[in-house]
Amino acid sequence: MKIYKKEGNVLQILSFPEDNIEKGDYILIEDSKARKALIAQVIDIQFANIPGMLEELLRSCPDGGNIHGEDFDPLEIAPYITYIQDSRLLICKIRASIKNEYLSPSKSWLPSRSHSIVKKLPVSRLLEMIKAKGKLPIVLGETKESSPLIIDASSLDGRLNIITGKKETGKSHLSKLLVLSLVHYGATVVIFDLNGEYAGLGYSSDGARNEYYHRIHVLTPGKNFKLMLGQLDLRVMLNILVHALRLPGTSAREFRHIWKSLKERKELSLRALGETIRNWHCNIHIRDALFSRYYALVNSGLFTDNPSEASDIEQYLFKTREKGGAVVINLRDTSSIDRQIMVEYTLGKLVELLSNWRLKAVFLFAEEAHLYLRETYWDDIVTRMRHFGIFTTFITNQPDSIRSGIYRQADNIFLFNFTNENDLEAVSRAARVDAETVKSIARDLPPHHCLVLGKAVKDFPMVVKVKRLNVKTMGGTRLFFKEKN
Amino acid sequence: MVIEQLTITTTPKYNFPQENINLELPRTFLELSIQSIKTSEKTFNLNNLLNFQQLTITTLENLNCLSAKVIKLKPKPDNSIVSAIDVSSIKLGETSTGFLLAIRGAIVWKQNVNYRYLRIGPFLFHVTEENKQRIYNVLRKAYFNFAHQESKAALNITSTPNIMQMQSRLTGLLEKWLQMTLTTAAKNTLILWDGSLTVGTPETPTRVVESILQTARKRENMIMAFSKATRLRLMSHRITDLLVKSRPPCLLELKGYSNVNKPIRLLGEIYVARLAKGNCTFRLDIDKEIPSEQRIEAVEKLLGNDIVSHGYPETLRLAHILCTFTANEVIAMQRFIAKKAGLNIVSQPNIRRILFGPYGKGEVDNF
Repeated sequence: MKIYKKEGNVLQILSFPEDNIEKGDYILIEDSKARKALIAQVIDIQFANIPGMLEELLRSCPDGGNIHGEDFDPLEIAPYITYIQDSRLLICKIRASIKNEYLSPSKSWLPSRSHSIVKKLPVSRLLEMIKAKGKLPIVLGETKESSPLIIDASSLDGRLNIITGKKETGKSHLSKLLVLSLVHYGATVVIFDLNGEYAGLGYSSDGARNEYYHRIHVLTPGKNFKLMLGQLDLRVMLNILVHALRLPGTSAREFRHIWKSLKERKELSLRALGETIRNWHCNIHIRDALFSRYYALVNSGLFTDNPSEASDIEQYLFKTREKGGAVVINLRDTSSIDRQIMVEYTLGKLVELLSNWRLKAVFLFAEEAHLYLRETYWDDIVTRMRHFGIFTTFITNQPDSIRSGIYRQADNIFLFNFTNENDLEAVSRAARVDAETVKSIARDLPPHHCLVLGKAVKDFPMVVKVKRLNVKTMGGTRLFFKEKN
Repeated sequence: MVIEQLTITTTPKYNFPQENINLELPRTFLELSIQSIKTSEKTFNLNNLLNFQQLTITTLENLNCLSAKVIKLKPKPDNSIVSAIDVSSIKLGETSTGFLLAIRGAIVWKQNVNYRYLRIGPFLFHVTEENKQRIYNVLRKAYFNFAHQESKAALNITSTPNIMQMQSRLTGLLEKWLQMTLTTAAKNTLILWDGSLTVGTPETPTRVVESILQTARKRENMIMAFSKATRLRLMSHRITDLLVKSRPPCLLELKGYSNVNKPIRLLGEIYVARLAKGNCTFRLDIDKEIPSEQRIEAVEKLLGNDIVSHGYPETLRLAHILCTFTANEVIAMQRFIAKKAGLNIVSQPNIRRILFGPYGKGEVDNF
């Protein structure tokens, strides 16, 4: 391999087929005289612009390819010709430089074109150099060279992460892997499980209980998870009414009075709330508005007056404090409003517990968050809630459903295959990597292969084949022709 | 109607007219090629050498024409085999003692509707003052059974080839060998050459061309030589301009011209051919010894059995395309030499550029 050109942050390297370089691979350019080296990543591979190539190709198919023949090539020069024809140009992004064996993000230095040695840098060696493994290793899977790609769990700590890719590329699989790894290291994880996919985390694929069984708590609203009104803080209830049930401001003010009145009388129950609204002296329109929300709460099935039916998310979260664990909020088969009620409640409760330091920190995994997260929460989650200790991982197949501001602040992005230009455009707004890398590599990722960007890989984008997980598959797509096939 | 056809035998390797053909690799050519590039040189220079790819040499003469006759042509499709030969050479670089040369030949023939080809080479030579004579004579002896010195008188050549002429000489040798091989192998075939039937130059030895034409006649082959350029003039007009107003396909037969000075001889009857619409006319030489009607019929058979685009036969066009070196082949051959002979490729400073800067364009440096 030889350096051909450098333009800005892009190096063009001349390569030949036997170099066996693919997109995503790393190249080390060592300039022994300068005692420095550059690390660059291949983001695209093109054919080298060899003079006479067009003539060569045209000659091989004159008049529609209707010519065949033989070559007497006694000196066997033909392999040299095909070798030249197959030469490639590696388009590489400079990622770092090495001086005195220390990595530096500086890219201002230019190696010699004539005497630099250009060679492939194995990912395993790069991982050693960047010390990505850390003290809490998480094996994400294998690189192309079959070496394990290990990240440090602490690289997810206090971070905003995004897992995105088109359908059936392995997003949830990676998400489950991260959840179990965090649980393994004693972390508290809360999952908004839109499709009931995480309910099987406590079981291995053959249906037997796995080592995490006692640490995975699946809460299905209206089934094994109901609340008494007394468990709720007024602020949380108002958030539910205003944001999930769209209660106007004046009605909310009346509700506040009703709630306080009931609380003072220690009669905070669903039945008493209905009675009080009925008898409350207020404008008839306000009463109607309050009633409609009241019935929405009743019909959600989430609330109960029966103490034996009631449960508290607190008790599950506290269970995870010792050895770690995950609370899975199963939002499958719940209506949009019920989902929002549950999310408002959970987030309100988390903020309350974290601000009182009753919980240390929570890793929140939110699948397709745009379906239940209100507008104002996006900024809240990435800024304010992070300070409380909620470290969010968004999982989505619709990258444009996440605001560009979120991408810019994302610390880690786990990117699966996208072919659609608009999707790639949305993801390419991530600040931790250049748009060309995202667009070029993500487009060609096979299923279950993920481009890891950000702090987890010390800003050296890496492609990994996500490892198989021995976990019971849940939430599969229901198929009409399943049995016939 | 039964059309007489060539017996074409399919060999395990080549579907090519086989009778009497010696398709063994031109071993001597190869041996000399390998020997010559095993050089003691350390480097070779690239500078302006790629610009002059030399095509088959066409000898041009000034003649005094007396009369000309336009002959209308009718295509005669009869499944005759049409074949063509072309050879190309290119300088790959200079060494301190000489230069590196690549030569390649191509034979193309049309069978039914398919074109097939046989490409021979490239052969690489390191030509120096020391080895030029040996290379030339060994090759001549190997191919034409007489060495240069022995045939000097017959060819009226008074000196050994100048090193600068070696490119055209070696190219001519391979071309003549291919022409002879094809003529000996084929029967009842239209054989197209690039150039003319003018002999007596070092590249076109009279005895060799006469021998080829004689063999062709015996085997009922018809040799037709197409020149893309000519300096022949009739009443001050270039002969290829005389047919512009005639409706194609047609020939202009030139009669009564005086022969040229010895040792140059014209073994062909000279025509101007306008075989298709467009402004392209070509000088066409056909063996003089063949009766006039057969010559005309041969051109009509060519029209009936080959594609003639822009007035030029497709087989000959393909032969030219296939033997011509492309830039990436040149790079590959330079790489081959660098690897096999351990030569380093260096760029020679361009003296014109150094002296004249941006005004140093124009003619190429020669050695």
